[in-house]
Amino acid sequence: MNSLEKLFAELAVQKLQHQTRRHFLMDCVSKMGGLAMAPLLFGCEPGKLSKSTSGLQLSERDLNPLAPLPPPFLGKAKSIIYLHMAGAPSQLELFDYKPELAKYHDQACPESLLEGRKFAFIRGVPKMLGPQAKFSQHGESGAWVSDYLPHFAKVADEVAFLKAMHTDQFNHGPAQLFMQTGSARLGRPSLGSWVTYGLGTENQNLPGFVVLTSGGKTPDAGKSVWGSGFLPSVYQGVQCRSKGDPVLYLEDPSGMSRDLKKNVISAINQANQEDFETFGDPEILSRINQYEMAYRMQIEVPEVMNINDEPEYMHELYGTKSGEESFANNCLLARKLVEKGVRVVQLYDWGWDTHGTDHDGSIDMGLRNKCREIDRPMAALLLDLKQRGLLEETLVVWGGEFGRTPMQENREGKQMGFLGRDHHVDAFTMWMAGGGVKKGTSYGITDDFGFAGVDERVSVHDLHATILHLMGFDHEKFTYDFQGRPFRLTDVHGELIHSVLA
Amino acid sequence: MFDFLWPLFGRMHPLLVHLPIGILVFGILLCFLPKKENHDFLPTIRLAFLLGGVAALVAGLSGFLQYQFEGFAWEDVQIHLVGGISTALGSFWLYVQAKKSDRLDTKIKVSALGLGLVMTVTGHLGGTLTHGENYFTEVLPADFQSLLGAEIEPEKGPQLPEENWENAELYAEVIQPILNKNCKSCHNPRNKKGELDLSNLANLLKGGEDGLVLTAGDAEHSALFARLILPKEDEKHMPPSEKPQPSKEEIALIESWIKTGAKENQTLAEAGIPRKLIERFILKNQTPFYPITQMQPISADSLADLKSSGFFAEAVESGSGLLKITCTNFPEFQDKDWEKLAPVKRRLAYLDLGGTQMTDVLLDSLAGLPNLTVLKLNSTAISGNSLEKLAQLPNLKLLYLNKTQVSLSQIQALKASKSLQKVFAFDTPASTELPNAGNLNFPFLFEAGNYSLPKLPTDTIVY
Ligand code: HEC
Repeated sequence: MNSLEKLFAELAVQKLQHQTRRHFLMDCVSKMGGLAMAPLLFGCEPGKLSKSTSGLQLSERDLNPLAPLPPPFLGKAKSIIYLHMAGAPSQLELFDYKPELAKYHDQACPESLLEGRKFAFIRGVPKMLGPQAKFSQHGESGAWVSDYLPHFAKVADEVAFLKAMHTDQFNHGPAQLFMQTGSARLGRPSLGSWVTYGLGTENQNLPGFVVLTSGGKTPDAGKSVWGSGFLPSVYQGVQCRSKGDPVLYLEDPSGMSRDLKKNVISAINQANQEDFETFGDPEILSRINQYEMAYRMQIEVPEVMNINDEPEYMHELYGTKSGEESFANNCLLARKLVEKGVRVVQLYDWGWDTHGTDHDGSIDMGLRNKCREIDRPMAALLLDLKQRGLLEETLVVWGGEFGRTPMQENREGKQMGFLGRDHHVDAFTMWMAGGGVKKGTSYGITDDFGFAGVDERVSVHDLHATILHLMGFDHEKFTYDFQGRPFRLTDVHGELIHSVLA
Repeated sequence: MFDFLWPLFGRMHPLLVHLPIGILVFGILLCFLPKKENHDFLPTIRLAFLLGGVAALVAGLSGFLQYQFEGFAWEDVQIHLVGGISTALGSFWLYVQAKKSDRLDTKIKVSALGLGLVMTVTGHLGGTLTHGENYFTEVLPADFQSLLGAEIEPEKGPQLPEENWENAELYAEVIQPILNKNCKSCHNPRNKKGELDLSNLANLLKGGEDGLVLTAGDAEHSALFARLILPKEDEKHMPPSEKPQPSKEEIALIESWIKTGAKENQTLAEAGIPRKLIERFILKNQTPFYPITQMQPISADSLADLKSSGFFAEAVESGSGLLKITCTNFPEFQDKDWEKLAPVKRRLAYLDLGGTQMTDVLLDSLAGLPNLTVLKLNSTAISGNSLEKLAQLPNLKLLYLNKTQVSLSQIQALKASKSLQKVFAFDTPASTELPNAGNLNFPFLFEAGNYSLPKLPTDTIVY
C-alpha cells in the first residue's frame, strides 16, 4: 500500500467509526423512502437523488467558521463576560443573608437536613456555622450584600441576583463542567463555544472566545470547561495570559520576518486546501482559518492585551498593576476585549474552595482576602461598562460551580482548625447584569438556614436557557447534529427565568 | 305505513358506499396488474365496472334519501352528490369502452385512473360530511398539520394584561388556557385518553376512567395535579414524559386553583396568586427596539459586497431587512467611503463608526438615515459643532460620543430629538463640565461616566 492509499483506508475506517446505530436507522428509514419515491419523481433513475446530495456546497461559514451570523431573534446582549469563581464562593458570607442561622451557630445540625444527603467531606452530624460576615442592604433595590464586598455593594442596583440556584454535582470538576457545558461528563461544547458557533465574531483579528485565568490555577475540570466538545474546534475558548506573552507561541522567533511568516503560512494553507478538496473534512478548513487568524492576531492581540496604555484613573478604578496575573487585570482586559468586538470573555479565578483546612481556606479570613481581590475589579468592571454604554449590550454573569453548606465542615468527623464550609448543591447565589437583565432584582428564596431553595429555584439549565435567550437564541431550537441526533446546550431541560428579564 | 323504509335506506348510505368503492378499486387495480397478457383480465374488468356502476347507483340513491331526510344543507352535499353521480356514470362508460375493445389500451387505463380519482374525492367529501372537517388532521402532530396547510392556532397558554391582571378570572383566563396548551391534544371530546375530557370545566368535573380527577381544596388527592408532579419516569406521570411538559409556574397555578377551592369564578387577586407565578404570561406592551419595516432581507451578494469592503455587516436579527454595520476591522474608514454604505442607507439600523477617520462632514449623510437606531461615533474627530443634525433622526435611540470633543452645550442641541433615550459621552469635555453644570433636564439619560471607587480602609487589610 502506498501512503496515499493508507490515508484513504484510514479515512474510511474513521468514517465507519462515526457511523452509529442512529445513522444506520436514519439511513434505513430515509433511504428506503428515497428508493420508493425516486422512480416516481425522477423517472426510474435511482442514481439521481444521491448525486445531488454529494456535491460540495460551501458557504461563507465553511470557509470562515467565525464569520458572523445574525441572531435568530433580537437578543439584548451581543457579548458575554462570564466571571467564574472556581472552587465555589460561600453564598452565606456574600449575598444570602440568614440571621436565623446565626442563632444556631455551633449547635448540632438538625437530623432532618442530613437525612438521605451526601456531602463531599462532612461526615456524621456537623455543627451549624452562622454567617461570618456583616450584612446590610444597599442601593434603591435594597440588595443584601455583606461587608466582604464593600465596593460591589455600591453597584448592587445594577445586578439581578439568583439566590436559589441549584446543581446536582458536588465535586468541583463535574460541577464546573456542568456549569459551563450543561453536562457533568466530558465531551459537550461550552456555553462560550455554543454562542460563538451561533453568532460568529465581530472582530476578525481576535479570537471570538477568550479565556483569562487568575488565582494561580486553571479550574479542576481542566480546559474542557472552555472546550468546543463536538463543535468544530475553532469555537473553543482561546486562553490568553495577562502576564508575559498573551498567547503562547504567538510571537515570532527571532530572525523570522513577517514576510517570511506570511509565505510559510500561505504554503501550509495551500497544502491544507488541497487536502480539503480531497477529503472534504471541515476540520481542515478550521485549521486553515486558525493559521490565518494567528497571523492576524499577532498584531492585534498584543495590542488589546496590553493595559499599559490605559490612563491612570482606570488603573485606580480597577486596582490593576501591569505585569500581574490578577483578577483585576483580567477584568480590565475583559472590558477591552468586549469593546473590540470579542463575543465571549470568560474569567476563571481560582481559590474559592473554603473548607477550613488552612488559613487561606477559612471562611472568616481566607475568604475575606479572596473577596478583596475581586471586590473592586468586578464593581469597576460594571461601572466601566456602564459609562461606555457597553453594559447595554454586554451580559455579565458571576458565580461559582455550586454553593457552600450552612454547616461547618468536619472532615473525617473531626473539628477543623479553621472555620470552613463544605460543597453544597442545594442552594447558592449567582448574579447577572447588563444586556437585557432586569437590574435591581433578586430572584429565589432559600430557607432560614440557606440550605435549600424554597421558591424560585433556578437550575443550571434554566440559567443557560436564560443566557442564550439574552443572546438571541431559543435554547430549544439552538441545536447541533452530532452522532445522528441534534444536541442542545440545555439537553432536554431548561426554562427561561422571566422574572430577571428586563 | 312503510314510510320508515326510505329514511332507513337513506341511513344505510355510509354502509352502502363501500360496495362500489370495493368493486371499482378491484377493477381499477386489475387494469394495472403488471402482466404481459393483461387483457386476459378484460372480462373480469368489464364485470367489475358494470357491478361497480350498479352499486354506485344504489349507493347514490340511498345518499340522496339521506340528504332528503337528515337535514343536510344543499351547499354542503352538492359536490359530493355530483361526484357520486359522476362515479356511477363513469363506471358504466368504462364498462362500455372495455366491452368495445378486445385489449386494454392506454385510453382505458387513463380513464380508470380518472375514475379512481373522482371516487376518492367523492369518498373524502362524504367522510368530511359525517366525521367533520379535520377528522384526519386532528390526530396528526401539530407540525404536520401546519405542513398540510391547516390553520391551527398553536395554543398560546394564558395571556394576561400588564395592568389589572389581578382582576383576571383564574379559571377561564389561566387554568383552562394551561389545560388547552398542555393537555387538550389528548383530552378532548374526540380524543379522550383515559376517558378524560379537559376542554371545559363541565367535562373536567366528570372525571375519567378512574373516576373524578379533582377534589376541590385538596391538590394532592386530585389526579389533575397529582399526576403532574409524579416523577417523569412514573408511567402515570402526565403529560407522558416524551411530550412537552408544563412549566413550574403552570403546575403551581393548577395547584393554587385546586387549593383555593377549584372555583369557576374567582379572580387572581381573590385566589391570592402572586405576580411572579404569572409573570411569564403577561403581555408586555413593549415597543420593538428597531423600527418595523417591510424590507426584505438584504441579498447575499450585497451583504458580501459590504463585507469585502471591510465592514462587519449582518442583519440585526435573522430575517430582518435592517442591518448592523460596524467598522471593527475597518479603522481606515473615511468620509469618502460613505458611498459604499449609501446603497443600504435605508437598512442601516445600527452603525458603529467608532475609531474611524470620519469627520463632521459625514453628519449630513448620517442625519438622513430613516431607520438608524444606534449610532456610535466613539473616538472620532467630530467636533460636535453640527451635532444638532442628529436630532432630526426619527428613530435614533442610543448615541455614543465617548472620547470625542463634544461639549455640554452641543449635547443640549440634541434635546430636540423625540426618540433619543440615552447619550453616552464619557471622556469628553462634556463629561468634565457636567459636575458644575447644574440641572440640565435632558429628556434622555445622559451618561457622562467618570466613576470612581473611593479607597476604603479595608482595601489594604490582609487577614
Ligand atoms: C400525549 C397525550 C396526553 C397528554 C398531552 C396528556 N395526557 Fe393525560 N392521559 C393520557 C393517556 C394515554 C391517559 C390514560 C392512561 C393513564 O391513565 O395513564 C391519560 C390519563 C390522564 C388522567 C387519568 C384519567 C383517568 O381517570 O384515568 C389524568 C388525570 C390526566 N391524564 C391528566 C392530564 C393532564 C392534567 C394533562 C395536561 C397537563 C394531560 N393529562 C396531558 C395522555 C395524555
